[in-house]
Amino acid sequence: MLKKAVLLLSSLFLSSSLQAHTLWLVPSHYVLSKPNSWIAVDASAANMTFVPDKGISLNALKLYSPDGSSKAIKDVYQGKRKSMADVQLAGDGSYRLELANPPRFMTLYELNGERKRLMADKQQRAAQLPAGATNVETVKSRSRSFAYITVNAPTDTVLTLQGEGLEISSSTHPADVVAQEALQFVFNINGKPQQHVKGVLSYAGELYRNAAERIEFITDSDGVFRFVPEQAGRYLIEASYSADIASAQADKVRESITYSFEVALP
Amino acid sequence: MKFVITRLIVWFSALLLSGNVIAAPSEITLELPQIETSQYHRPYVAVWVEDAQQQPVKLIALWVEKPDWLKDLRRFWRKIGRSNTALVDAVSGATKKTGHYTLHWDGKDDQGKMLATGNYTLFVEAAREQGGRSLAKHAFQLPATHGVIEIAAEGELGVISAVMR
Repeated sequence: MLKKAVLLLSSLFLSSSLQAHTLWLVPSHYVLSKPNSWIAVDASAANMTFVPDKGISLNALKLYSPDGSSKAIKDVYQGKRKSMADVQLAGDGSYRLELANPPRFMTLYELNGERKRLMADKQQRAAQLPAGATNVETVKSRSRSFAYITVNAPTDTVLTLQGEGLEISSSTHPADVVAQEALQFVFNINGKPQQHVKGVLSYAGELYRNAAERIEFITDSDGVFRFVPEQAGRYLIEASYSADIASAQADKVRESITYSFEVALP
Repeated sequence: MKFVITRLIVWFSALLLSGNVIAAPSEITLELPQIETSQYHRPYVAVWVEDAQQQPVKLIALWVEKPDWLKDLRRFWRKIGRSNTALVDAVSGATKKTGHYTLHWDGKDDQGKMLATGNYTLFVEAAREQGGRSLAKHAFQLPATHGVIEIAAEGELGVISAVMR
């Protein structure tokens, strides 16, 4: 019982520090018909999908272009409730907006029956852990948020899996997602489909309906999650995966992503 | 005598068939309805045909102005506009005011070839600035059975009637 309580507490600890709010990026437009158009990107750490709660730093915001190049976005403003970026999309093709903060290392331990934590990796922890610390575990966690925007004809360069961390692939291009048509996403870890990735699918408008209508899912043996979006609108997927790793820096890795996309009218 | 009648029937049906090929083009009549609103802008309109695999085969008409708003013809944009700039440039014309319009189609695809026998769908999409978007569609077959297509008025589109030949 006590062990269970401790476990629960540690997972609460983890989730409260990393996941109290869901961090998302939502562009003003997912589809454009004119090159050199500007888009406004809203970003927030929030409880309701696309209802902003807290502005976040956009210093790590990047734009990946159809030619494969990437650049930092400098026109950013961090507000109290949400942050905003101005982004210009020069040529035709599909772009990827990504906010990827560097991985964080956290060491969890117990001292005299109390659960504590340190911001330290496996190598740094030895010097910082107090004498008598038990159940020591270091977690490497990383969170990324992204969205795709397409100007004129869609392209695939920015959709290519990097083979690193948690990534989504799909047989449907983000610019081709249409209401009432079957959709499937493959969740990959280090470039390979991964079973048991946990996620939540939600869509805009939660503030104005009684049922949030969120779908909690877990990927099947092919790493797949399937669904049919009933209606057009803006959707959000948040997903995460934890696993033990053999690394000099951490005992465990936790990868999280949030992905906002548009479901178009048929 | 019997022989003659049979020959006559053969000859007559051959005439009908060949008449089919050289017949008048298909005719599509559509209405841009009068819409009472404080700020009326002419709608963007696209008329096209998709095959049984939902692939576009013929863009019949496109009435638009600025490229910024082409994406608001959602289905047209996804199926044709975003990836076939040359076709858009070739077919597009200015937006039209409220009224009835008749379009003609010779049954050929975008490359100028006669469409093969099969099932097709006629699409008409309209989107108006500060207004709504309507998508009307109706299935038909080729060779055409001379059926008259009627699509009821809805939103940005008035009654659409078409005779596929």
